[in-house]
Amino acid sequence: MRERTADRVARLLAMIAYLAAREEVTLADLAAHFGVTPAQARRDVETLWMTGSPGYLHGDLIDFQYDRWEQGRVSLLDSQGMERPVRLGHGEAVALVVALRAIAELPGLAGPALTSALDKLTAAAGEAASTAAAVAVDRPAAADAPQVAAHLATVRDALARGRRLDLVYVGASDEVTRRTVEPLALLSDGDQWYLRAHCLRAGDVRHFRLDRVVSASVSDEASERRPEAADPAADSVRPRGDHEVTLTLDPRARWVAERFDGQILAESAEAITVLLHVADPSWLDALVLDLGPDLHALAPAEHARRVAAAARRALAAYDEPEGGRS
Amino acid sequence: MATVSPAERLFDLVIALRNARAPMSRAQIRSGVNGYHEAENDAAFERMFERDKVALRELGIPLLTITGDAHGDEYGYRIDVSDYDLPPIELTPEEIGVLGAAAQVWDGADLASPARRGLTKLLAVAPASTDPLAGRLRLPTPDEQFDALLAAISQRRLVTFAYRAAHSGATQERVVEPWRLLVSGGAWYLQGYDRVRAGERLFRLSRVAGGVRVLPPDESERQPVGPAYEGRRTRTDAVLLVRPDRATALRLRAASVEPDARPGYDRVVLAPGDLGDLASLVAGYADAVVVLEPPELVDAVRTRLLAVAALDAGDADA
Repeated sequence: MRERTADRVARLLAMIAYLAAREEVTLADLAAHFGVTPAQARRDVETLWMTGSPGYLHGDLIDFQYDRWEQGRVSLLDSQGMERPVRLGHGEAVALVVALRAIAELPGLAGPALTSALDKLTAAAGEAASTAAAVAVDRPAAADAPQVAAHLATVRDALARGRRLDLVYVGASDEVTRRTVEPLALLSDGDQWYLRAHCLRAGDVRHFRLDRVVSASVSDEASERRPEAADPAADSVRPRGDHEVTLTLDPRARWVAERFDGQILAESAEAITVLLHVADPSWLDALVLDLGPDLHALAPAEHARRVAAAARRALAAYDEPEGGRS
Repeated sequence: MATVSPAERLFDLVIALRNARAPMSRAQIRSGVNGYHEAENDAAFERMFERDKVALRELGIPLLTITGDAHGDEYGYRIDVSDYDLPPIELTPEEIGVLGAAAQVWDGADLASPARRGLTKLLAVAPASTDPLAGRLRLPTPDEQFDALLAAISQRRLVTFAYRAAHSGATQERVVEPWRLLVSGGAWYLQGYDRVRAGERLFRLSRVAGGVRVLPPDESERQPVGPAYEGRRTRTDAVLLVRPDRATALRLRAASVEPDARPGYDRVVLAPGDLGDLASLVAGYADAVVVLEPPELVDAVRTRLLAVAALDAGDADA
């Protein structure tokens, strides 16, 4: 996707302020600092070099040391008065403050750096900070699973050291398995944490929910796969399965389509019909039991029969004395 | 002659307006600032300049419009240099690392661009970051009404919108004193006071049909803003009977697990949590788990089981 003009101008403004405060920066360091490719950083400096004050004659232009530039180093000679860093726009401050407050709720992220970053940003944001205060974040599900924070630390350690992980994991079918995985990334959807990893047992990429990890330890063996760079397109945490199922849902359960990449076949004020590609029928059963009254119908019928029978067995336990209800 | 990119033109405009001794007129900008000469006619210049003004404001650059005798009827523009600077902010490598993680939570959403720009501006005065998170975070993409609602909240305005009720599916016009936006369980909500229903309500933004209209300020009969919604949490520990070797994920978060007097069951105690999350977790195990306490969790799980038990009813009749 092409970068938005405003985003690029924000970087040009930030770069010149950054360079004005330093004697010299290598092009590679400049690119790394602003999180762009060296080629993009080069284009940015070249654009800055062409800009200046009206007249655009010698002495009106932003200028760099030419001989250093030829050696891959950036050294600013003339900033044309642009050395001041620009304040945050209202929308920019709101977007950042809300994001910080949201991630502060996730287990494993709260810490002194997050608290102090939020304090400093709030001070710099001015009135935008009070706008951002109107956004609240509900306690994520992962916050109720205390073991997640410990697993997060282990996974980060393995990612940082380029090691494999030995996992004991319980999947949707309630089956406990031992797996050795090569960690690729840690992901969160704001509600749960997932480890994206190449599973040697499955021979493929799998997503492991950290609240379903029984134990995790960093292996002595090096991982052959490098951690992935961010790629929003690859961040879906659900594999596409072979079982096609159609769910007729109450409109309030529209989230099923949104969260699980479902295809909406029909939508009215009374119901929404969603097609899902399910990899594991036991995952579907758990979803159906979670939806309860919000699921009006399920097709094919074999799935409906299986999960309805399971629900009846479960209900029986509430009625039998030995089932535990006193 | 090489064409001037919009970014280059915008940057040149900032330099010109920052350094100008007096406000610049449109004519001065058109003839003097690099890039505007590419406008082929007056209309093209106007479009170009209007776009650039919007971009400058988006960037937080304080662009002032001056009307006065100096230019007759014509407008003049300048940048308010006293309001231009980022306030002094000293960030540690850890803090800029955290901010970097925060800036990416909106990837794929409209807020991604302003968040990235905000981070970029902070990088101008920041040291190299450490990445304390090594993780990628996403929040649910805010619905299209997000911006309008956030603005209405900060300006204490009322809003009205068509809302699809959960049970009837009927669409009704609501008039709401908006209090706050809430992200919960993968969706965005508006919490506020519903003037039609005369009570506090939570509105799921995906069920708002169409746009949000902001009403003129109306302070009469305004309700005090209530506390933030916190979901329905259980107040006491949940006590469960669990089949041996089953429901491992549930046991992982247990406060205690011990054999029960009843044969074939373990007694598992969970700390209080969100009622909906607990009911989902428990119901998913069907007959492997039986809830003893608290009663609201028993009800929530049984409601789910009863509905699912009827899923093949049509099947049986046939």
